[in-house]
Amino acid sequence: MRDPEVISTDGLSKRFGERVAVEELTLAVPAGEILGLLGPNGAGKTTTLRMLAGILAPTSGTATVNGLDPATAPEKVHESIGFLTESPGFYERLSAERNLAYFAAFYGGVDAHAAARRGIEQMGLAGRGGDKVGTFSKGMKQRLALARVLLHEPRILFLDEPTAGLDPEAARNLRELIVSLKKEGRTILLSTHNLTEAEGLCDRIAVFCTRLLAIDTPGALRDRQFERRLRVRLASVTEDWLAALRVEPFVRSVERGTDGALDVRLADPDRDRPRLVTRIVEMGGQILEVREVERSIEDVYLSLIEEATE
Amino acid sequence: MRRRVWNVVRMEWAGIAATPSSLLFLAVIPALLVGQAVFLSWIVPRFVNPAILGPGAGDADALRLLILRQFPFFVLLIPAMIANVFATLSIVEEKVTRTLEPLLATPVRTWELLVGKIVAGAVPALLVAWASAALFAAVGFGLGWGPLLWTLFTPTFFLSMFLLMPAVSLMSFVIGVIGSSRASDAKAAQNLAVVIIFPIFALIAVQVTGLVEFTPLRTFLLALALFAVDALLLRAAVRLFARESIVTRWR
Repeated sequence: MRDPEVISTDGLSKRFGERVAVEELTLAVPAGEILGLLGPNGAGKTTTLRMLAGILAPTSGTATVNGLDPATAPEKVHESIGFLTESPGFYERLSAERNLAYFAAFYGGVDAHAAARRGIEQMGLAGRGGDKVGTFSKGMKQRLALARVLLHEPRILFLDEPTAGLDPEAARNLRELIVSLKKEGRTILLSTHNLTEAEGLCDRIAVFCTRLLAIDTPGALRDRQFERRLRVRLASVTEDWLAALRVEPFVRSVERGTDGALDVRLADPDRDRPRLVTRIVEMGGQILEVREVERSIEDVYLSLIEEATE
Repeated sequence: MRRRVWNVVRMEWAGIAATPSSLLFLAVIPALLVGQAVFLSWIVPRFVNPAILGPGAGDADALRLLILRQFPFFVLLIPAMIANVFATLSIVEEKVTRTLEPLLATPVRTWELLVGKIVAGAVPALLVAWASAALFAAVGFGLGWGPLLWTLFTPTFFLSMFLLMPAVSLMSFVIGVIGSSRASDAKAAQNLAVVIIFPIFALIAVQVTGLVEFTPLRTFLLALALFAVDALLLRAAVRLFARESIVTRWR
């Protein structure tokens, strides 16, 4: 059975004057899922997160977060979410612990100083709690910002570009933290530009450019956007063989690539692959390699964005 | 509710304590103002003919007393000066340090945030103003102006200090916070908040020119009226705090 939806939007739209930032966004996120929001700059990812977090009011449409409407009950929504904003934002003259304790004290039932100390330890910053945030590196500030969104143990997290501007090691550490948060059963909405990160972390990906272009698992998006193809490398190829393959009922098309390999589309790649191999061998072909053409999520993304902007 | 306001107040105070220039500013303001008032009260009667007060106006002490009587109104400038620095930066600084968006993502309400910032600035400003008055009195007594000073300590004086001054102080900070939340940078905020000083100058002008005599009743009513205006201004401040433009237009 599908987990209950903890985040949903219905026709959610936002305009800033004449400019449309988000148009008719309808989606649902079940509990425990990481949904990646992918889109170019200005696509409306941050605006969407801000609307869901009750910081911006939608122009039209509705949203529900944990059963609450962020537009009418923002403070209630804030009790149940953690929002990692694009810039970490700290009072740099004050210590890390003082900063976290300040934010923690806004939540009911939270022992602010205990939560701050726990957060600092959780993020591997033990021993630096008393240091001024101004002395922290960008990666440390980002981890501290993640500690801040977890102070009140929210079950729903909105993460806006969490690894932007981090060095590869800091980015990997942060991704590992996000994975551990997912394992704890939290629902995460992750806005990112990093396509590999989105593919590695997210259960589903929503590609959008002002409006939602596609939403599905990375694999399903690939299948939907690109027909699966086989790359067949032979010792040698004759035109007769190509003609013979083209008339096979399970072959939809055969093209010869620039490297001489065959680019084959099958009616059903999983079912028909052995038949293709058998047929080539019957014709006397010497097969060197048969592999499926891998389409990266970047190809999917670029293809969707290209379609949207055409 | 009160917990969240108190949290903002404490954080603002921690910020002031962590900034030596802010502490220095708080210390220098009373020293400058009291120093100037004492100097004028000392020097003017020495070099100015008391006859300028009119025929039969009396001696140098009459002139000194006239100057001393202005002091409670000049002390009103202290909260305004402090507000012009602290209040005008209160929201702008949050924008610059990018702490405003994370703050708005917590359950704190706009009015709690603004009241916290106003109280956090107004209380030290009041304390500094009262300390200035106490310092002025101490120096005055030390200089042998005791008999003149005793004539100052009227009900009007105490109403000015403990009712009018808090009302003016609050007003200065509310206006400063409005300026801070509407401005695009610190300089613009301070330019907007320069209006803080106008009502106080108006009060000083009214007092100096003798247009209105500040009786205890009038002072009391004026303070009440200012508190009412403060409440209206606070409501306006909450309405004018445009989360949307603050969050989206700041890069």
